[in-house]
Amino acid sequence: MLPWSKLPFLLILAGLIPAFTMPVFARWKRNFCAPYAVIVSGLLFSISLSLFVKVLNGGALHLHVGGWAPPWGIEIVIEPLSGMMAVLITGLYFLISIYSYSAVRKEMNEEAQGWFYVEFLLCMTAMLGLVITNDLFNMYVFIEVVSLSACALVVSKGGRIAVEASLKYLILATIGSGFILFGIGILYMITGHLNMSFAGAVLAGNAAGYPYLLWAAMSFFVVGFGVKSALFPLHLWLPDAHASAPSPSSAVLSALVVKVYIIALFKLFFIVFGLELYQESYIRWLILILASMAMMFGSFFAFVQLELKRRLAYSTVAQIGYIYLGIGLGTPWSVTAAFFHLVVHALMKTCLFFCAGAIYYQTGRKKVTQLAGIGSIMPLTAAAFTVAAFSMVGVPLTGGFISKFMLAQGSIEAEYPYFIILIVISGLLNALYYFPILWQVYFTSPPAQGENNDEPHHAQINESGFRWDQIPLSMKIPIAVTALGIIALGVAGIFAYDYLQRIVEFFLC
Amino acid sequence: MNLEVLLANYPYFVAVIIFGVGTLIVLTQPNLIKKVIGLNIMTNAIFLFFIALGNIRGGEAPIVDPAAPAALYINPLPSALILTGIVVGFSTTAFAMALIVKLYYFYGTINAPEFMKMR
Repeated sequence: MLPWSKLPFLLILAGLIPAFTMPVFARWKRNFCAPYAVIVSGLLFSISLSLFVKVLNGGALHLHVGGWAPPWGIEIVIEPLSGMMAVLITGLYFLISIYSYSAVRKEMNEEAQGWFYVEFLLCMTAMLGLVITNDLFNMYVFIEVVSLSACALVVSKGGRIAVEASLKYLILATIGSGFILFGIGILYMITGHLNMSFAGAVLAGNAAGYPYLLWAAMSFFVVGFGVKSALFPLHLWLPDAHASAPSPSSAVLSALVVKVYIIALFKLFFIVFGLELYQESYIRWLILILASMAMMFGSFFAFVQLELKRRLAYSTVAQIGYIYLGIGLGTPWSVTAAFFHLVVHALMKTCLFFCAGAIYYQTGRKKVTQLAGIGSIMPLTAAAFTVAAFSMVGVPLTGGFISKFMLAQGSIEAEYPYFIILIVISGLLNALYYFPILWQVYFTSPPAQGENNDEPHHAQINESGFRWDQIPLSMKIPIAVTALGIIALGVAGIFAYDYLQRIVEFFLC
Repeated sequence: MNLEVLLANYPYFVAVIIFGVGTLIVLTQPNLIKKVIGLNIMTNAIFLFFIALGNIRGGEAPIVDPAAPAALYINPLPSALILTGIVVGFSTTAFAMALIVKLYYFYGTINAPEFMKMR
């Protein structure tokens, strides 16, 4: 019988051990890989749910790895933020692994299919480790595991574009982790602690003694995490990597991998440096400016893309800007909004990439201009896409509306009301590149017969032209669940708000 | 800041300069192998920085001999951390090399600007 207090260790071990036993299945029993991944992520989802229930009313679980007390040993802390992230990561992974059952078979060659799941589970484990650790160097190690396995997820499809994108991602991510490691070194030099809470306690008393060194450390962290989480001018790797990866990988990369780096940066800023130091430093202005530029230019770049997944990837750049804007403003409302948007965007982007993958699965179409008539041949996918697109734009009753509303309140609270104009303009720009897709999907007729010979079911269209999606059930369920999740967050967002308040209390008070 | 402080703490400045050199190589060299070499120079500069901050002038290796305890020991923790860092750097390099080999099969060159022409 496992003692309950050791449960957080399982969060890492229960992903790591299956990840490294996966090659056995990959070699001999390729069909078992996907169900195995589903079982593992389902198990982890239940573990993180039970941890989430424990921190639901505030408070935190502290664990010491190997029994070493915190200043020396590695400490694991499950606070409300990491509890929420663990549930988000494992829950989405559960859906993505169900989805991947068919998508991987369609989009990847035979030998790569089993090995895909190795890095798939490795990436999840490293992300979980990254959100629950309270140790600076341990964080660096998990960051490296996340970036290496994310690069492997990009390249898993093969083909020269994917290899090129993966190498670009690898080089930039390594530069980013170099910067992060340098920052950690400077922090260790100042404080003499690798534990974040202890380093924060030392800094709180002595921050005035090292002004330049602290600014240097903060800048290193912003550049390092900015590269990894695709903050606007450092986003160059993102569109290639996310567009050339197979759909399950794109969902993982776009919904989760860029987010966990933001979580890590947030923890560094608010545990180690503290709110006061953060608000005094000019780094905050840099983040605000870059976030505003991301919201504008990310949408502009998305507008000119013709490939659907590329458009979604650029949209991620813009949405990352919202999250950074919320963290940059640094008031309770805006931070709440940032985390709400983080959750909502994870759901929206997963849903959109699922839909893109489903459209590719059934029709083989990748371009935005080829989507005419999808609404009548893939009604479920089109409906889910509509919900997610509405949420991106910020239509009420979807999650995106609430996060934008909270963000607007946060900017009033921070006394920079002009950011509201920016939020509104960015929402309109989102509409500019999502609504033409919806127009195509519903209000234009499908292309004439014979134009797309590769469509397998083209002959089966009945008189009215309407039929259900020809995609397997393992694709339909995740698409439906994410779409319903977006609506649920939009309708019942107020309950999430109570929980997010506890995160804010934990870090900002 | 006077010159004496600068000279006394020269390992840090050397580390920062090498870090800059490595980053510059990664960003400016068109050859992919050179980019990877630049990455290694960059990470090694960080390792040098860590080792330098663990060092204490006049300290001895942290092996405690109860018979003759030393007055000062150097901090062994950064060196231990860097072992992990070296392993991470190694695996990154190996992965990058594997990707470059793959790209060489596709394009027949490892010069990044020529990829654009071939597309």
